[in-house]
Amino acid sequence: MSSMSSPPSDRERAGQQHLDEMTCMLYLERQLERARALEVSAHTQICDACRTLLRAMERESRLLTRAMLEEEEPLPARIATFQERVQRSMQWVWMVAFGLAATAVYAMYTGYIEPLQQGLEQAGFGGTSLMSLLIFQGSFWKGWQSMLSLVEVLALVTLGGFLVMVARKRFRRGSALALILAAWCAAFAAPSPATATEFKKGPSIQVAKDETIKGDLYATGQEINVDGMVDGDLYVWGQEATIRGHVTGDVFVFVQTGRIEGQVDGSVRGFCNNITISGDIKRSLMTWAQVIHVDSRGSVGRTVTSFSQTLGIDGKVGGDLFVFNQTTRINGSVGGNIDEKGESLLIEDGAEVAGTIKFEGEKDPTVSKKAKLASEVQFTHRVKHREEFGKSSVVWAMLLAAAFVLFGLVLFLAMPSFSEEAVRAAESYGASMGLGVLVLFAVPIASLIAAVTFVGLFIGLSTFVLWLIALYAAQTVVGAVIGQWIMGVTTDLWGRIGRMAVGVLIIRVVTLVPHGGWLKLIVLLWGMGAISLALYRKYAPPKIPQAPYAPPSAPLTPAGGAAAV
Amino acid sequence: MVARARAGDAEAWGNLYRVYAPAIFRFCRRALPTREDAEDATMEIFMKIRDKLDQYDTTRPFTAWLYRVAANHCWDILRRRKIRQDKETDDLETLPLAHPDPNQLDQLIEKRTSEEVRKALDKLGARARMALVLRYYSDMSYDEIADSLGVRRAFVGVVLLRARHELRQALEGTGAMAAGGAR
Repeated sequence: MSSMSSPPSDRERAGQQHLDEMTCMLYLERQLERARALEVSAHTQICDACRTLLRAMERESRLLTRAMLEEEEPLPARIATFQERVQRSMQWVWMVAFGLAATAVYAMYTGYIEPLQQGLEQAGFGGTSLMSLLIFQGSFWKGWQSMLSLVEVLALVTLGGFLVMVARKRFRRGSALALILAAWCAAFAAPSPATATEFKKGPSIQVAKDETIKGDLYATGQEINVDGMVDGDLYVWGQEATIRGHVTGDVFVFVQTGRIEGQVDGSVRGFCNNITISGDIKRSLMTWAQVIHVDSRGSVGRTVTSFSQTLGIDGKVGGDLFVFNQTTRINGSVGGNIDEKGESLLIEDGAEVAGTIKFEGEKDPTVSKKAKLASEVQFTHRVKHREEFGKSSVVWAMLLAAAFVLFGLVLFLAMPSFSEEAVRAAESYGASMGLGVLVLFAVPIASLIAAVTFVGLFIGLSTFVLWLIALYAAQTVVGAVIGQWIMGVTTDLWGRIGRMAVGVLIIRVVTLVPHGGWLKLIVLLWGMGAISLALYRKYAPPKIPQAPYAPPSAPLTPAGGAAAV
Repeated sequence: MVARARAGDAEAWGNLYRVYAPAIFRFCRRALPTREDAEDATMEIFMKIRDKLDQYDTTRPFTAWLYRVAANHCWDILRRRKIRQDKETDDLETLPLAHPDPNQLDQLIEKRTSEEVRKALDKLGARARMALVLRYYSDMSYDEIADSLGVRRAFVGVVLLRARHELRQALEGTGAMAAGGAR
């Protein structure tokens, strides 16, 4: 390599040009031809400046080598133990499993999903994806308008997750997760710009008749009475709640006894012991309760979805009735169809039903001759099989398994580092399960306590949401461990996802067998514990890591290029 | 040991891993931006090594081959991320190289510790850092460096010198040392 010339003006000395830096470097690295190297050597004998430069560059080289060779940190434990895990790897199993999985997916699609989609399309649901199914079902919960908002939020979350995934390598360990959590917290905590949120707490809460609350109201207490107006959503958590006033938004009730005697412009959703509707719900009613009663003064503008022991309709329902009850009694009017799965159906004298009535139950329906029905009851006699293993249950099991795999896929892509930590934590079975017992049972109780105390409402709900996410993620974590056992360890992200998918499918199949519920519980305990352990390890005070074995003291002869092997 | 590992001896493979994993991890640690990257890359490199072990030419030093695989892997990672795909390749021939003041350079090197140098290395562009690692950690020849970085052999010296300049700037925090001091 030819040396680079320097500006001659101030670089002339004793009729000879100074050495440039490139020449010095090439000389030091023995890259110069012999003749040129001798010239350089001779020049440095007489030129102090060039000798100084040469010496400085030589020291620089040594400093660089020393800095790079120094072992300033021990070998990470996961690298030290990686080789043992690699030895168990069986690539061919992976290939076979992949082939089988692809075949199974194809078979599942052509055998079940495609016909299901066609059926849905024929039924008038244009959506053909799993997402549309979820949205369709979600619309029961909050209505279509809210579902559109949910879709927007989902899109933003997905975009956020994607950006984090792309940028994750730029974050240090844990930062990405912290960022996501912070964003979640910010999203939850950020007040809506249009409305304010009010919190009320106490043994007895009263919204007086002439009182108007602008914005959402969260009320928790023993006895809650809303006689005035809430211009927003109403969240009620307590023993007894009566709404005689007017709520312009939705009502969410979590009470022992609930009474809706006033007007709700939105929908009513709730978990109650018993709930009575004597007022007017403009939109839908969806409740899980022991007793649900729409009395003769009560009306629901749209759909009623009920999961209860007893449902009584004496008032008016404008839309359909989706019922999963033990006993249903209808003595009022239903503007749409009735679709019930339960034990018994009683249609009394005062009943008027404009649509069809489908009833799948154990007992024949009792229908009064005075009832005004647009069509006869289509009754399907259901025989209770304890261990029913029909085609339908297999389809749902497969769909559920696919959903879990999808969920795991999102988790692994969004949080690759943490998911790996969780999988590694799951390999400590004892610790995971022990912690799992604690987390599985204690966290919901703790979050409930936090939520019912006013100050901890947000923390309680957030904790509960995280707990739910962890509950779903538990199976994916354990699935990843099982997949790893079978197919060996890999560092490749998609390889890990593939192993997770295989493991999850195995878990889903195994838990289908009789008494598989116990296995499922073990999986949940194990997975929840592993996730908690990983979280603990991530955020626990740092400890000085110790190498599991002493690495060789001498490096790989970097100066010589080769070591005896 | 390598021959036994090639023959499928698990114990030999284990020994091979135990002997060379620390050095390869350190190599990756120097070449890649984060510790997590280095951990992942180390494991991936050994997966590759295991798959490619039968391609290794036993007449050549094993460590040279090992570093070659590691260098290619790390450089692929950096290239995929398009980190600092800077103008070095295009400007190599025309870029003027400033001359440092020998005394200032001497003082700079005198005062710096290994830890400071490692921190400064982290601030360098991917190519500069990789070039220095290949040369001063792996002791690769100019031909091997040219091959790994995908530049002509004649430019390796320029790449290395530029990398040294970047390093000095990072060490100093200013560009004073490379600002063309007269001698």
